Amino acid sequence: MRIAVTGASGDYGRLLLPRLEADPGVESILVLDTKEPPPISKVEFHRVDLTRYDAEAELTDALTERPVDALFHLAFLFGPILNGPLAHELEVIGTMNVLTAVGRARLPRLVVPSLTVTYGARGNNPALLREGSPLFGCPHSRFVNDKVEVEGQVRAFRERNPDTRTLVLRFAPLLGPSLDNPATRLLSHAVVPTLLGFDPLWQAIHEEDAGRALHLALRAEAAGEFNIVGRGVLPLSGLIRQAGAQPLPLPGPLFRGALRALGVVGAGTLPVALLDYMHYSWVADGERAESALGFVPLHHVRDAASALRRSQS
Amino acid sequence: MTKGVLGNDPFQRGAAPRTGEVKDDAAHPKAAKKSAAAKGAKSAGKAKSARGGASKSGAQAKAPKGGKAAEAKQGPATPKTPAAKVHKFEARSHERGGARHEEDAHASGQHPAGEDVSPLREPSVPGPAAGPRASRPQVLADEVGGSRPQERTVDRALTEAIASEAAETAAKTAVDELFEGRTGPDRDIERVLATELVAEVAESAVRQVLDLGNGDAGEREVATAIATQVAEATAGVAVDEVMDRNAASPEERTLASAEDRPGEARGLDEDEGADEVWTADAWRRDPKDAPPPEELEEVWTADAWRRDPEGMAAPEEPDEDDRVTGVERVEEDGVHISVSIIEGAAPTDVEPEVELPDESHDELPPSRRPLSLVSDPGEAPLPDEAERDARGFGRPEEPAAPSGFAGRAAGMFSLAKEIAGQALASEGLGRAVGAMHGLMEAMRTSLGTGGGSRLDDYGKDAGLVESLQPVLDFLYEQYWRVSVEGVDQVPRGASILVANHSGALPYDGLVMAQALLRERPDLLEARWLVEDQVFHAPMLGTLFNRLGAVRASPENALRLLDEHRPLVVFPEGYQGASKPFAERYRLKRFGRGGFVKLALRTGAPIVPVAIVGAEETSPLLGRIPGGFLGFPSLPLTAPGPLPAKWTIRFGEPLTMEGLAPEAADDLGEVQRLTERTRESIQRMLQALLRERRSVFTG
Repeated sequence: MRIAVTGASGDYGRLLLPRLEADPGVESILVLDTKEPPPISKVEFHRVDLTRYDAEAELTDALTERPVDALFHLAFLFGPILNGPLAHELEVIGTMNVLTAVGRARLPRLVVPSLTVTYGARGNNPALLREGSPLFGCPHSRFVNDKVEVEGQVRAFRERNPDTRTLVLRFAPLLGPSLDNPATRLLSHAVVPTLLGFDPLWQAIHEEDAGRALHLALRAEAAGEFNIVGRGVLPLSGLIRQAGAQPLPLPGPLFRGALRALGVVGAGTLPVALLDYMHYSWVADGERAESALGFVPLHHVRDAASALRRSQS
Repeated sequence: MTKGVLGNDPFQRGAAPRTGEVKDDAAHPKAAKKSAAAKGAKSAGKAKSARGGASKSGAQAKAPKGGKAAEAKQGPATPKTPAAKVHKFEARSHERGGARHEEDAHASGQHPAGEDVSPLREPSVPGPAAGPRASRPQVLADEVGGSRPQERTVDRALTEAIASEAAETAAKTAVDELFEGRTGPDRDIERVLATELVAEVAESAVRQVLDLGNGDAGEREVATAIATQVAEATAGVAVDEVMDRNAASPEERTLASAEDRPGEARGLDEDEGADEVWTADAWRRDPKDAPPPEELEEVWTADAWRRDPEGMAAPEEPDEDDRVTGVERVEEDGVHISVSIIEGAAPTDVEPEVELPDESHDELPPSRRPLSLVSDPGEAPLPDEAERDARGFGRPEEPAAPSGFAGRAAGMFSLAKEIAGQALASEGLGRAVGAMHGLMEAMRTSLGTGGGSRLDDYGKDAGLVESLQPVLDFLYEQYWRVSVEGVDQVPRGASILVANHSGALPYDGLVMAQALLRERPDLLEARWLVEDQVFHAPMLGTLFNRLGAVRASPENALRLLDEHRPLVVFPEGYQGASKPFAERYRLKRFGRGGFVKLALRTGAPIVPVAIVGAEETSPLLGRIPGGFLGFPSLPLTAPGPLPAKWTIRFGEPLTMEGLAPEAADDLGEVQRLTERTRESIQRMLQALLRERRSVFTG
């Protein structure tokens, strides 16, 4: 089984590559990336910059030259970056290029990671969001909305290309010692501001579980979207405590103003949009991943958070 | 020992010795010298004062050495008991030039706590004019008396005699010297008085020392040395005192003495080191015209003053308090030293420190000056006193803690623990504590800091519910005395319990869930749906969610019914909870019949439920616009739940048999079923209201 991976040097790539390497069924890994991947025996490296105008042609060439059985499109950001246009190029346009190339090369399988934050934290979310729930995104977050757009592209692609088994894995916030994303950054502070009077339910997934889910997607018979979440839920304050920090409830307007100010200055390490996720719950139901993908999370949210704590100390 | 323990107990806690202060002490000797010099210079103009100053400063210079020697001797003989040690240290500090202040601290420590401290804080006499510093006889008496109870050996008597003799001679010489330059009508009498005074002070000092010590031979020498030194040192002061007394009006003095006594420092004996101070005192006293603003030293002087006269029943001067403060401060230093000494096993180590004490004096004055109420610069600021006192007292005692006091404290502590244990063991108290804990948890949860790690998918926190159970039990059983009727009619498996919503704060869902939990343990845990306005209300919504409320939405309801849970719904929604008190128990429109559609789709039976009592528990008295919090309005209600009696009556279930799930799309059918449910509930409500004779007793 030959596999192509974009964005292999990202967090997802780092979680997945070792598993593919260890998987005896995998013959070769074609890495399509701007950065050289870690030297692994199975890896073939092909430099492709997804943000370039000719990325699609390059991808098509690479994929037709060396046909693969599956493509993991992992070239995504894990949090908002200051350069919004670049993020948009990478996520939305890059995905468009990849989808086009995959369609041309008629690959049998495409795996795209996404995030449960695309559901949006809203007051009228049901207690558990199933995969069919609409993706409302987050009105204030370009990052989240880019993800939503990517999901839309992928869904459209899936409908047009039924021969390509397309799996979208919506991950709960990933927590783990090796990750750097808004959630881990949030939890790495000694004191984490929260919204006074609100304590939404959070999910999280341990990085090992996330890697396992990605790997499972390689052979799954199902297609479509899957919520990949850890076991259980925790209130935000509980998550913070588990991560070894202290929640500091702040009145909403004050908090919002402070975050905005920090964001304007450019010093903000926390996206303003995170506020929504501190206000309302967005709990995704991992039932489908379990039944169709065969993914059973091994780690409870608690463990994921405390793994973070261990990594800090 | 008893003295120390009893008197000082209250302060003991704060008494950790601080290393930093030792340093201060080290600085003392220089300061002492300086001050002496300053005094001398000032006094130059006046014959009297000049003399007194000179002699005193001379005495001072000597004093430190003598003190040292004494200490050195005493050191090895230090008694084992901590209290005794403390005393000794005090004694030592007296011997030292700079250490006089200690006495005050010490003295106050010996007294029952409140007594000394409070009087010191208030300046009994504001007047700077009070010129002469009164002496406090009672102080001495106290101190001496305190040590009395301890056994005296013959040795001790001997020592005392020797010491007193030495003191007397010393006093005589000193006084004579002082009086030489003075002329006055009663000079002879004065001289005698002064001598007596001095001798007495010296003697008391000796006694004090002896009290502390074991009475061995070394001590004798020490005692003698002390006596002499004290006598010398005191002489000037005593003379001044005597003179002043003549000048001061008798009434004033008596008054002052009366006032001062309790608050006074009684550390007569310690005065040893007081030479300079006294000098300063003397200074101030005699020439009212030009009291050299020597600050601290004066203050101390004042102290010394107070102290020495102990022996004499003579009238005191007013307004000592301020000075006392200063004195006490000094004491701290002295005390401090003593502590360090105690800690350092070898007396030799101690000595260097001992000599130093005076410096602190110098340092103190500037800070004090602004505070003092009295014009006299030497007086100490009252406000600080409490602190200082505490510190001063505490410190000397500290070392004592391990044995006598600590033992007792440990005993008390264990007793207290036992009592607490017993109390906790009693069921009621235990429950109360548990309830408090639960409430705290609830508070934290609602603020959003609760944490909690045992949440289910809907957000119910089993841990919180558990810790809040005592409160819920109390509310359910004793406060609201919920009576439940017809609960057997609730079918097993999924069912929709439709109830009237009532009260400004929706306790009813919680109570329903509790009622089902208690009366029908065979059913799965019930959940209740709450409208968005409550669910997303800050704090309240969070808390309710953790207690088991679920946001009212078809998805959630379906999921809960799929789990075969009884589901409590309030179709009136927010309107039901926000109807004015006048419209209580009158059902509002039942939403859009969502619960009927649910029932039709899932086949779950509808059980009408009437709840009476919730309206009176939190009557809606008015509304506050609450848009800024995301509420349509904030209910104005009783500050807490009122103890109305609750009755919950379950009606006969409406089964969905014979009705196809498609009927859910038939609005007419839905409407019909909705109306039936509504009528059923209204009927039960009216019946319950008719049966109810009193809101609060049922």
